[in-house]
Amino acid sequence: MSRYYYYLIFINMVANIIASVPSILYESHKEGSVSSMILGLVAGTIIVTIYTRFFNAFPGMTLPDLLEKTTAKWFYKPFVLFLAFMWFFAGLITLATYTFLLIRYVTPEMPVIQISLSIILSVIFGCLMRTERVLYTIELILLVTLPLILFIFYKTYSGNSLEWDFVKEAALYVNQLPDLNSFSASFFLFLGVVNLFMFNRFFTKKQSFNWKHVTIIAIISTLNMFTTYFIPIGYNGFENIDELVYPWISTSDSIRMEYFMIERVLFVFLLFYLGIAFVSIMIHWHVSIEFLKFVFNLEKLKIKGFKLGKFIPIPFFIGASLFTIVKLNEYQLLRLSSIFYNSLIFFFPSMILLFFFIKRSMKNAKQAKQN
Amino acid sequence: MPNKQSKTKLFILILLPIITILTGCEFKDIDKNVFVSMIGIDKSDDEDKPYKITLKLYVPTSSFKQSPKPEYAYITQNGETLTEAIRLMESYSDKELEFGHSKLIVIGEDLLAEKANEIMDFLLRRPDIQMISWVAVGRPSAEEVVKMVPQGENAAYPALFNYFDDIGTESQFIVTTYLFDLRRRLKEDGIDPVLPIIEVKKKESHFKVNKSMVLVDKKEPYELSSLYTQTFNILSMNAPIADLIIKEEGEYFNARVDSMESKYRVNVKDNNKIELEVDVSLIGYISESKNPLKTQDLAYYSKLMEKEAKEKFTEFFEEMIHIGYDPIGFGLDYKSRTLHNRRMSSEEWEEAYKNAGINMTINAELKSTGSIK
Amino acid sequence: MLLSETINWVNEQFKNTNELVHKNLEYENKHILLFYLKSLINSEMLQQLIIKPFFEMSSEEQFKIYLQALPQFQEVTSKEQIPLEMMNGNILVKIHNELYLLDFRLANNDKVNQTSVETTIHGSQLALSDNLMTNINVIRSNYHQASLTVEYLVKGEVNQHKVAIIYDKDKVKSDVLDTIRKRLQNVDKQLITSTTQLNNFINDKRFSLFPQMIMTERPDRIVYNLGGGKVILLVDGNPQSMATPVVFFDFMTTIEDNYHTLFISLFLKILRYAGLLLSLLLPALYVGVTSFTPEVFRTELALTVAGSRVGVPFSSFIEVLFMLFFMELLLEASIRLPKAVSATATTVGGLILGTAVTEASLASNIMVIIVSAVAISTFVIPVNEMAFSIRVVRLLLILITSIFGLAGLILSFFALIMHLVNLDSFGEPYLKLYTLAKDKKSSEGKS
Repeated sequence: MSRYYYYLIFINMVANIIASVPSILYESHKEGSVSSMILGLVAGTIIVTIYTRFFNAFPGMTLPDLLEKTTAKWFYKPFVLFLAFMWFFAGLITLATYTFLLIRYVTPEMPVIQISLSIILSVIFGCLMRTERVLYTIELILLVTLPLILFIFYKTYSGNSLEWDFVKEAALYVNQLPDLNSFSASFFLFLGVVNLFMFNRFFTKKQSFNWKHVTIIAIISTLNMFTTYFIPIGYNGFENIDELVYPWISTSDSIRMEYFMIERVLFVFLLFYLGIAFVSIMIHWHVSIEFLKFVFNLEKLKIKGFKLGKFIPIPFFIGASLFTIVKLNEYQLLRLSSIFYNSLIFFFPSMILLFFFIKRSMKNAKQAKQN
Repeated sequence: MPNKQSKTKLFILILLPIITILTGCEFKDIDKNVFVSMIGIDKSDDEDKPYKITLKLYVPTSSFKQSPKPEYAYITQNGETLTEAIRLMESYSDKELEFGHSKLIVIGEDLLAEKANEIMDFLLRRPDIQMISWVAVGRPSAEEVVKMVPQGENAAYPALFNYFDDIGTESQFIVTTYLFDLRRRLKEDGIDPVLPIIEVKKKESHFKVNKSMVLVDKKEPYELSSLYTQTFNILSMNAPIADLIIKEEGEYFNARVDSMESKYRVNVKDNNKIELEVDVSLIGYISESKNPLKTQDLAYYSKLMEKEAKEKFTEFFEEMIHIGYDPIGFGLDYKSRTLHNRRMSSEEWEEAYKNAGINMTINAELKSTGSIK
Repeated sequence: MLLSETINWVNEQFKNTNELVHKNLEYENKHILLFYLKSLINSEMLQQLIIKPFFEMSSEEQFKIYLQALPQFQEVTSKEQIPLEMMNGNILVKIHNELYLLDFRLANNDKVNQTSVETTIHGSQLALSDNLMTNINVIRSNYHQASLTVEYLVKGEVNQHKVAIIYDKDKVKSDVLDTIRKRLQNVDKQLITSTTQLNNFINDKRFSLFPQMIMTERPDRIVYNLGGGKVILLVDGNPQSMATPVVFFDFMTTIEDNYHTLFISLFLKILRYAGLLLSLLLPALYVGVTSFTPEVFRTELALTVAGSRVGVPFSSFIEVLFMLFFMELLLEASIRLPKAVSATATTVGGLILGTAVTEASLASNIMVIIVSAVAISTFVIPVNEMAFSIRVVRLLLILITSIFGLAGLILSFFALIMHLVNLDSFGEPYLKLYTLAKDKKSSEGKS
């Protein structure tokens, strides 16, 4: 597989360390989080495999392209519009989480609007770039931020203060029945693959995708999930882990760099994680804007030769996200993301049926052509 | 491509009004802040305002080279809640109080027993207080600890910090507890927090940090003597080095342990009976002796050391078991090993812990007699 | 007859100049006519190769064959060609009712210069010359490939300068070449005097902050670029060449990297990128940390910064701009100054001003350190054009940071990366991570 494919998957995983996923998992830390995570891991790997295989069969084709060829207009237009909203919302969750984090920890005096505006303005023009350029940007930003983030992960694992007994204690709750919220939260970590709906246009050649690639994804996601869930427990104890609003922030604040210019890891973590959040929002909103372009034929809209079309969604994006962020509080954000994740576990697996349909009609069309 | 240019134009068009609207917002220069270096929390005499907060503030000087002597300002304020006290303090100071740099939280001895949880709540809820700040008990009061500047202190780095960070002194008698560690030990059953006690020696103008305090929810804090503190440090592998005085069978020497490892686990037997299994290995050399030593007898000396250490450690454990406090974390070890639905209840555990047997193995090894025999 | 008409026409073209020499040689039934512009002709060569043989040859026929055998010989293809070539230092010869052109150009600018912009320790110390032919000679003699192709164009309505497009036909991307040709065709300027001018004329983005071509004076760099499939542009009378398409990383490499051992060049590269980041981010970081988030730095550092700012009347943002302004003035001044004075200027500006500013507490000590660190690290960027861009971007970052704080700085840095990725240099992505793998079998394509 192309390395860009992995970026799509892993950014979604890594970005959610800081978002609501751990908090949702900790809500049922004494019920079924661990078993839900294992279940999520299995289900996630399966869905990654199915989605990748499906899009690999149609190199260079986006989901709207395929729908246009195989389904009726009354179906695919509203459907893609719905998808656009969904992707916008996914980006919005990350944006809101990060805005709250920044206001809590970095610049408490700044107005919310100003903070969220700084993120939105820097991201929004990136969403209009060509798909391949979005991927190149992702790669470069990862290159800048990832080494430091990995270093922080290394610091968390190697620190003396990491109490493995807490981790073991948490892991022993594995015999509880899984519950829906935790399962959908851990399932969501794998859903980076659905960005192929749009990003598949970049992968114009058929890629090799076999058990080796699945294993790589499974291993990395296991590590990621383990880190997401257990490391904060190792640092903050098991009993009251659910009372932390931002478990990972508290964890990164529990690590000290004795010899650096910056002593509190918290700020390094927060500022470099901003890069991951930036990239994550960019991916989601890029896909969303591309869907909108498809639905409303925005590319064709021109005023005096100036392609106005693709700029039309921008004011809506800015307005809607600012409005939501101002209205939302932390708890509502957590609930809203939980509901969003829950809806996804029904939506994306059922998409597979649609894939079967598309595959069959594409095959039929091909045969018809040959005859 | 003309649309690129228009993109830039559009960007500027959007950005310009925003800049004009937002400039000057929340712009506060660093010299308009005053940094808090330590926070001391005491019980006040006032009934209505039970909290007394003392802050030690850095006074910025233009060059530390020119004025190497430390300069601090202090503010003390009573309040009904901690936040109220701080709010009142802000009206005393011409600059913004900045808590982000405070590294040490000293809690007065008398407040600790009653209000540990409320204090914790305040410290954890504020995002600007570092989770890696050290927490200590102040004796006789936090205020006195905070307000004392010992001789020979450097500017910009209070001497007290050197006791706790691993860069300065590495004493075996000092327990270092970070705020996050305190939190997790307080909230968790099965492991109890230990806080260092900072004592003020007014006459000599220095601090003494060699005792510590075990804190248990809803129980009297238990003070560990300096000997117990050392033992605790060895057993929890906190101290990098440790000295043991061995007075056995006519030999009288001092062993310096520079590498130690301790493992402990809980063995559950029938009827909720438990046995604490402790496995310590100590490696070191002899640093002082009353009698001349023979290098070929190192194995014998090691045996002596094992015996001495065993006595010492057993005494510590017996005391802890007796009062039912668990600073090492046997309860946690038990929990990390037993499925939660097969565990005994916390009352049962407490009972079992009080009657626990101790099975201690010590493996001591002296590698050298030092530079002389 | 046709011939005399042409000669008359040529005479007519040059009627406003008094430099046209019209020489009529006649001896022992031989007869030739010479026309040339005196100041452009190497008269020694003329004497050696034409006049002397003319009097020694036995027949006009023989002399004609001799002329055709000369390497400077050139057929006349059209009437319009004649005055152009004469202005380039050709001699028009009329013999036997035929017209020939002979290249006897006098070039006083064909000495290669010493490198002055891109000086290195290793490698050749010689740069290009001001003469186009010499330059092509230098390039050809460094790049021995039959596929090396040179195309000539004449640009500039008034001064009619020769522009050469040089590329390796086997390696160049044809669509890039087409774009360059097309854009060069569209250049309609009165005067073209420098290669670097072309950068602006060919570039279609007026607001571009980053250079789309790389300027170089080093033959080894030109050869290196040719080997990488790039197109080189040369203008006559200019010791600089432009290479295109470029990627961002080209601006961060010096040709010396190839001359060092692996670890040394790796070390130097890391140093350079660190310098780039430092010169971009340091001043903005100062603003962000001192004015928005003083908790970030460790206590000792924060106190030092806070202490050094005691008594400074400006806020950090103004302070940074104030000091950077003087630094930029100093940089700009030292380019224009004669070499003898520039050392004094730097001393006065850097040392005395710096000390005096802190003494008068118009800026903090830390600020002076930051500004000098920034100045030094800007010099580390190997290609000048990029250094200029960085200087401007730096100001933008300071501006954004003073509005949005530290998070704004980080975000704008990412946005900068994004902008660079989005840029094109002649159809090629400007910034993109290239993998070292040589095989071109990538499994993804352009969308």
